Amino acid sequence: MGQTSKNGNEIMFSLILIALGLLIFLIVAYPLYFIIIASISDSTLVSTGKVFFIPKGISLFGYNEIFHDSRIWTGYKNTIFYTFAGTFVNLLFTLPAAYVLSRKEFKARRFIMLLFVVTLFFNGGLIPTYLLMKGLHLTNTIWVFILPFCVNVFYLIIARTFFESSLPSELYEAAAMDGCSHIKFFIKVALPLSKALISVIGLYYLVGHWNDFFTALIYIRDNELQPLQIILRDILLSNQVFANGAGVGGDAGGYAQRYADQIKYGVIIVSTLPILVLYPFLQKYFDKGVMIGSIKG
Amino acid sequence: MSSQMIDIDRKTIGPGIRLAKKPTVLNTFKRDYQLWIMIFPAIIVILLFNFVPMYGIQLAFRDYDFSKGLTGGAWHGLHYFKQFIDSYLFTDLMRNTFLISLASIVLGFPAPILLALILNQIRRKKMKQILQTTVYLPHFISTIVLVGMLNVLLSPETGIVGYMMKSIGIDNVNLLASTNTFIPVYVLSDIWQHCGWNSIIYLAALSTIDPLLYDSAKIDGASRWQSIRYVDIPAIIPTIIILFILSMGGILSTGFEKIFLMQNSLNLPVSEVISTYVYKIGIISNQFSYAAAIGLFNTIINFIFLFAVNAISRRFSNMSLW
Amino acid sequence: MRTKLMVFLTVILIFATVLAGCSGSDSNAEDKSGSNSGDNSGAKAKVKLTGIMVKHPLTKPLAEMEWLQKAEEAAGVDIEWQEITADWGQKKGTMLASGDIPDLFVGGNVITDADFAQFKGLFQDLSELISQAPKVQEMFDTKPETKVIATQPDGKIYGLPKYQRFWPASATRQFINQKWLDNLGLAMPTTWDELYEVLLAFKEKDANGNGDPNDEIPMDFPGGFGGFFNPAVLLGSEGITLTDGSSQGYFVEEGKVKNFLTDERYKKLVVFLNKLNKAGLINPEVFTHDYTKYQSIARGEGDTAKVGFTWGWVASDRFGEQLAPQYASMSPLKVSADYTGKVSWSYDYNTLNYGTNHIVMSAKSKNKEAAMRFINELYNPVVSMQVLFGSIGPNIKDNGDGTYSVLPPTDTKMDPGTWKWTSSMADAGPMYIADTINLTLGKDMQEVLTQSEPLKSALEVNLEKDVFPGMFIKYSDADNNTMSLNNTNVTNLANTNFAKWVTKGGVETQWDAYVKESIKAGLEQNIEIMQKYYDDYMSK
Repeated sequence: MGQTSKNGNEIMFSLILIALGLLIFLIVAYPLYFIIIASISDSTLVSTGKVFFIPKGISLFGYNEIFHDSRIWTGYKNTIFYTFAGTFVNLLFTLPAAYVLSRKEFKARRFIMLLFVVTLFFNGGLIPTYLLMKGLHLTNTIWVFILPFCVNVFYLIIARTFFESSLPSELYEAAAMDGCSHIKFFIKVALPLSKALISVIGLYYLVGHWNDFFTALIYIRDNELQPLQIILRDILLSNQVFANGAGVGGDAGGYAQRYADQIKYGVIIVSTLPILVLYPFLQKYFDKGVMIGSIKG
Repeated sequence: MSSQMIDIDRKTIGPGIRLAKKPTVLNTFKRDYQLWIMIFPAIIVILLFNFVPMYGIQLAFRDYDFSKGLTGGAWHGLHYFKQFIDSYLFTDLMRNTFLISLASIVLGFPAPILLALILNQIRRKKMKQILQTTVYLPHFISTIVLVGMLNVLLSPETGIVGYMMKSIGIDNVNLLASTNTFIPVYVLSDIWQHCGWNSIIYLAALSTIDPLLYDSAKIDGASRWQSIRYVDIPAIIPTIIILFILSMGGILSTGFEKIFLMQNSLNLPVSEVISTYVYKIGIISNQFSYAAAIGLFNTIINFIFLFAVNAISRRFSNMSLW
Repeated sequence: MRTKLMVFLTVILIFATVLAGCSGSDSNAEDKSGSNSGDNSGAKAKVKLTGIMVKHPLTKPLAEMEWLQKAEEAAGVDIEWQEITADWGQKKGTMLASGDIPDLFVGGNVITDADFAQFKGLFQDLSELISQAPKVQEMFDTKPETKVIATQPDGKIYGLPKYQRFWPASATRQFINQKWLDNLGLAMPTTWDELYEVLLAFKEKDANGNGDPNDEIPMDFPGGFGGFFNPAVLLGSEGITLTDGSSQGYFVEEGKVKNFLTDERYKKLVVFLNKLNKAGLINPEVFTHDYTKYQSIARGEGDTAKVGFTWGWVASDRFGEQLAPQYASMSPLKVSADYTGKVSWSYDYNTLNYGTNHIVMSAKSKNKEAAMRFINELYNPVVSMQVLFGSIGPNIKDNGDGTYSVLPPTDTKMDPGTWKWTSSMADAGPMYIADTINLTLGKDMQEVLTQSEPLKSALEVNLEKDVFPGMFIKYSDADNNTMSLNNTNVTNLANTNFAKWVTKGGVETQWDAYVKESIKAGLEQNIEIMQKYYDDYMSK
């Protein structure tokens, strides 16, 4: 009897799981699908609720307009560089620090943690920060995307927690017995065991760089250094401006108006596609038992 | 795991350490010099970029005077804080801000955990991958576009949600305009957008579970519900606690852009929050000092919350930020 | 192996960091030497300047504007432009506070009077240099009000204004669908009650004749109480003359500054709007739709119009070229048939034809004479005309007899408004369109002027007693701050209540409490301040 009810439960569980998965999928996927069809449909039809499942009044005006902007290619190039260089530096600074802060025998740990956490809350404001960057000659250079704030305390804490809970402390002690130093242990044991963590933190940093427009907005004046997001934001806001500037001087033109939303949705696709490609590569590190496999391997 | 164990082990580690002395930063420095090397770059970066500009906090207590430099203006003490607390909208702002972030935490915090647990249970690889990729996509939608989409999809006249509500008999509810629906729409759309993204961290934590644990749970006759309860959840508890402490530190920080874009004159009684108010007073004339004071006020309350929750957590779970 | 790699990478990184510092300063040094060499060379060589232009997003790159190249050449300058289309407010704060600014700023109110007060010493007082710019002097002489706009309370001039002459006396025109009226055999409404009846008929019958009696939206507006295209213009029916849209409610009546938000006549308007709303005559999404949707709906579907009565800048912009002919521009309504007082409208002439601070110079500029030469060039009326409409050649035709005409867009799909914004700095630029210049306007502006005709009599307002000269008044920094804080609170309260009362009613019972709240929020304090400045201004 126990056996059958257990099977029943199992089937029940699977059914609920599939139903839930399907529901989540539909809720998330429909609006995404909507973005795609809205990016090629007549904007007037979209905003008056005529486009639900099938694109209508199809035109590629939005994409044409986006890719017509020659700055976009410079933007892609810059963003890709900032993203990869920035993420590399982020990991280089964050992971060793997180490892150190996960070691309970490290006596300055509490103090340093507190020091770091304070920065999550208190900051001097934009103007002193700008003056500092200017003093360091970082403004209007590529380094402003890479060096400042390369340690995100939030991610540092996540990484520390992960090291704490997934690296049994016996592991280091055993290694230390064999004369293994901290640096060596970190590189040879801790990092290989933490592929999932590195993927997550790396992904978080990566996407942070990819989506960042504020740094460029404040610190960059040279058009050649602008990242993709600034350029896309320019294109996007170009169409939003109609909202407040209307009328005075015939600001809003019917011609531009009709396609404004196409650009809006097109921008999302143009900016997201490249980074989507990365995800499947990282995804495999979240699979069950990756860590154990690497211990044995 | 416990620090006790490490202390015991230390006796066996190196000849350089005297056993009798209590370990302090100084006398462990030589032993831990490699740790110091590893954390040194991070300390420098944080000190330089985060702490150096902190002198700017003074601005909250001073008049901003351009000709005298950032910190040269006349000292005003708590003037700007008083101005904020006495201001006409103060109670409304505090209430709205608090309610929105509380709702965000209560609903938004558990959602990615549940999603991660669900994803972790799916055994079909293809299905899991598709679902996982889909749920993380909305994170990339910019706020402007998200709010634009909300306007289109939730419109009572022409939106798909409007149609669906009409078809099940709920009529005349404008989700975008009612003071009752603003917070739900805000919070749920936030969950929709970021839940998948935030679940990644839990998925990573779940991936560190030794598959042998599941096997032995199965052998012990545990159902899948039970293996979630006794294997999965304990594995992510540390991450949950730490993230929870951090989220409590954001009790008075609501985002700005999304709320601002979602505001309209009908929902304004519940949607005017501190950040949007600061924007509105700041945009007309550069009220740097006033804005700085409101910001600092916010920060201090957030920090108190963080401190309290961190202390509670340390007491009861032995987990804490520092 | 891995260890070595890590060490190697760390070393690289440290080098990179060091290099970053160096290369950063190198490029700066280069920049400086660049501008210095310009400085030192003879008068014939071009002087290098830097400038920021805050332009409309549609506007093409400045480098492609022929007239600008010519103007720079004529002034003997070569300006390196940084063109900004978005987020200027955010950029500006840090830029000014750090003192890191270019020689020139161009754009509509790019640097505000509040900025001048706050960042003392950062901007050049142009009154000392005006003698070097005869064209600016000419504008000040023939249009003395432009000098008033430019002059700060302390007598200094930091930013120069624009004068664009041709714009109508009001931004808002009132449109009704004449075809619907004809279809239903109705007369053009002249009072609020008649409007109600007409809108009711629009709703109940199939006014657009497409067979569906329920797809007509009788009335639509952007969703605020005041400002352009919003229902506050109906206060004209009760004798209130709004100024520049009165987006915060302030107006002047018989020499007294008032705010309609606490005026009984506004209460009456709200009651009327609530009545319309209750009858389902106002677009149910009026307080939630965004601009795109607001515009799209009025553009209907093909030949089928959807909106009966609304406000806008010009019919072709509001309804699209295809539907525009269906709509007629209306005269202002009377509040009731027996109303004998004056009927007024929103008087926006000043805000449409003048602008503050369209060009500003840095006090740190090393080449003030050269910058002034360039400014002088822009205020040459023939150049100014091109600032507004685009270069002579592609955008403006030189008729050869001293007269000029604005040309239609070369791309026939584009409307003239968009064409103007694409081709030049347009309304954002610094300009002086002298009254003497003989320029024939394009089709769009002529349409605006024709459609303004029905408003003409309502706009014959008493400039001495009924118009708030907001454009010409300079507040002190302290007053400015007080007022903007108060206005944030007052408009917050007003917006909320207006929307609530229109959709749900309740104005009669809540009015008194609301008036008290408004006073508490600072409304009367602001009126006092404004009255003081108004009296001061009028006595001059």
